[in-house]
Amino acid sequence: MADQFDSALDLLRRLNPAHTSKNLSAICSLIPAEEENLLASVDQPLSVRRCKKSGRDYLLCDYNRDGDSYRSPWSNEFDPPVEDAELSSERVRKMEVRANEAFDVYRELYYEGGTSSVYFWDLDDGFAGVVLLKKNSSSTAARGTSGAWDSIHVLEVVEGGRTSKYKLTSTVILNLGSSGEALGQLDLSGNMTRQVEQDLPVDGDEGHVVNVGKMVEDMELKMRNLLQEVYFGKAKDVVGDLRSIPALSESNRDKATHREMINSMSGMKV
Amino acid sequence: MIPFKYQEFYTHATFPYRHGIKNLRVFGTAMPSKTETVASFVEAAPPGEVSRPPLLSCRDAPDIKSLTYDDSQILQSLQPAFKKYNEEQFTTVKLPGSTETVIVSSFNELGDGRYFDSANQSSFEFDHTTQKASSVQPHTLDSQHAELIISLLESLSTHAAEHFPASSIGVYPTENDSAIALVIVANKYSPNNFWNGRWRSVYIFTPSSSTVAGSIKVDVHYYEDGNVRLLTEKPVQISGVDDRAQEIVKQIARVEKKYQEDLNKAFSNLSEGAFKGLRRQLPVTRQKVEWEKIGGYRLGQDIGGGRSR
Repeated sequence: MADQFDSALDLLRRLNPAHTSKNLSAICSLIPAEEENLLASVDQPLSVRRCKKSGRDYLLCDYNRDGDSYRSPWSNEFDPPVEDAELSSERVRKMEVRANEAFDVYRELYYEGGTSSVYFWDLDDGFAGVVLLKKNSSSTAARGTSGAWDSIHVLEVVEGGRTSKYKLTSTVILNLGSSGEALGQLDLSGNMTRQVEQDLPVDGDEGHVVNVGKMVEDMELKMRNLLQEVYFGKAKDVVGDLRSIPALSESNRDKATHREMINSMSGMKV
Repeated sequence: MIPFKYQEFYTHATFPYRHGIKNLRVFGTAMPSKTETVASFVEAAPPGEVSRPPLLSCRDAPDIKSLTYDDSQILQSLQPAFKKYNEEQFTTVKLPGSTETVIVSSFNELGDGRYFDSANQSSFEFDHTTQKASSVQPHTLDSQHAELIISLLESLSTHAAEHFPASSIGVYPTENDSAIALVIVANKYSPNNFWNGRWRSVYIFTPSSSTVAGSIKVDVHYYEDGNVRLLTEKPVQISGVDDRAQEIVKQIARVEKKYQEDLNKAFSNLSEGAFKGLRRQLPVTRQKVEWEKIGGYRLGQDIGGGRSR
C-alpha cells in the first residue's frame, strides 16, 4: 500500500535519525509487505566488508546485494557466491572499474582515509550507478568528539547522441557526538538529501566517469557547506532562541537604546 | 505547506538484481509486540509541530494509523505511551478560561488523570491524547514546604522571564514531601522554517541535605530535505545550597548559564574536531580534482588508501 510506504517514510523523517536502522526494522515488522521497498528507499549507514580476493575493503548497500550476497567492486564476485548471478555488461563493468579507481583517488584527496565503492549496472537506455563513501573518526583524534560520514550518491544516466542526461540523488548521513564532565552527553545526528539533473556532453565511456566525478564532487561540496550551516549554525541558533545567556531585560534595553540612537540620528539628518 | 517528500527522490531507483532477501535482516531475536513498537515511536517523537500537535497524538496520528491499519485498539493501548510522553516532555496546557500555561509532569500528578498547579492553586483533568485540560477545581497546596514553594515560584518565574523568551515553570513538593521539584520547559516551534526546539530543566532541591540534583535537556529537530536532531543531556549536582528561594534559583541560574556556554563551545569543537576530520572542504592542493587526469594522481602521488592495513 503506497500510503503505508509514505507514512513509514514520514515517520522516519521525524524519529531520531541516529536510530534509523532500529526504527526501520521496527516499521518493517509492522508492515512486512513493504520491507523490500523500505530497505531500498531508506538510506542507512553503510557497512564495510573485506573482499576475499583482493583483500580490499568495500561498502555494502542494496545496489550490490543479490539475495543475501554482496558483490565486491574490486573482484566483481559475490560473497557468498551466487549461482545464477547477473553481472553487468562488459562495457558497464569497464566503466565501473575505472570509476572505482577514480573515486579511490577522490576519497584519498578529500577524506584522507575511509572507504569508497562504486557500483554500475545496465539500463535499457543507459546505465545507473551508486557512488559510496564512508569515514568514521574516533573520539581520541578530535577533541573528545566522534563522528561518522556516509555519502550515498545514486545516479541514472540516459545516453543520447552527443550529450547524456545525468540524474543524481545524494544523501549524506552525518552522525556526531561529544561527551565530557562539563558538557554531559551531546548527540548531533542526521541526514540530508539533495537532487540534481544535468545534460552534459560525453566523450566516450571515459567521459561518463569524468562527468559523474565532477557532479559528485560539486554535490559533496555543496552538501558539506549545507551540513556545516545546519549542524553548527542552525542548531546552535535554535538553542539560543530557546534560552538567552544575557538577561532578556538587558538585551531588550540595549535594543531600545540602539533604536533611540538610530531615531535621534535620523532626526538629525531631517 | 507541503514539506519535502522522500519518495520523489527514489523514482529512478531501479535495481540491478532481482533476488529478494532470504534471511530477513530486520527481525531481531526478540520481536517486540505491535503496541511496544508503536509506543517506542510515540515516546521518541520530536518537539511538536504546530500543524500536527505533537506528531503522534491519537487524534492526529496518520502515520501510525496507516502503519497499523487504523487499528483502534492499538491507539487505545497507546494511552500509557502518550502519558509517558506528556509527563517526560513537560507538555504544557492552557487551563480553560486562562491564558497562562501549566505543566504536566510526574511531579504534579494526582492520579485518575488529574494534575495540580501550585501557582494557581488548582487541579485539572488532562486528556493525554488530545492534550486538553478540563474540569478545573481549587487545590490547596498541602506541603510542609508550602511557603518555600510559593517563594520559589516567584524567584523561578523571574529567572525564567530573564532567560527564556517563552517558557513555563512549575514548583511541586516531591519524594513524599521531603524535597521540592523545580521544572522549566521552553518550546519554540517554527514549522515554516522546518525546525522545532525544546529546553527542559528539572532540579530537585532536598532541604535536609542542602543539595540540588537534576538535569538539563535540549532537543532540536530540523527537517528541511532531511532529518537532523540535536539531543543533549547534562546531569546537574549542586551541594551546599541553603533553603532560601533566591539562593536556590541563583545557583540554578549559574549552572544553566555555564551549561549553555559549554554547549556553544561544544558546537565549535565538533565543527573544528570531528567534522573537519571526516571530509576536507578541498584537497590539500586547494584545487578541485582534475577528473580528466585522474590516472595521473595515482602515478604522480603515492595514494594507497582503501587497501587493507
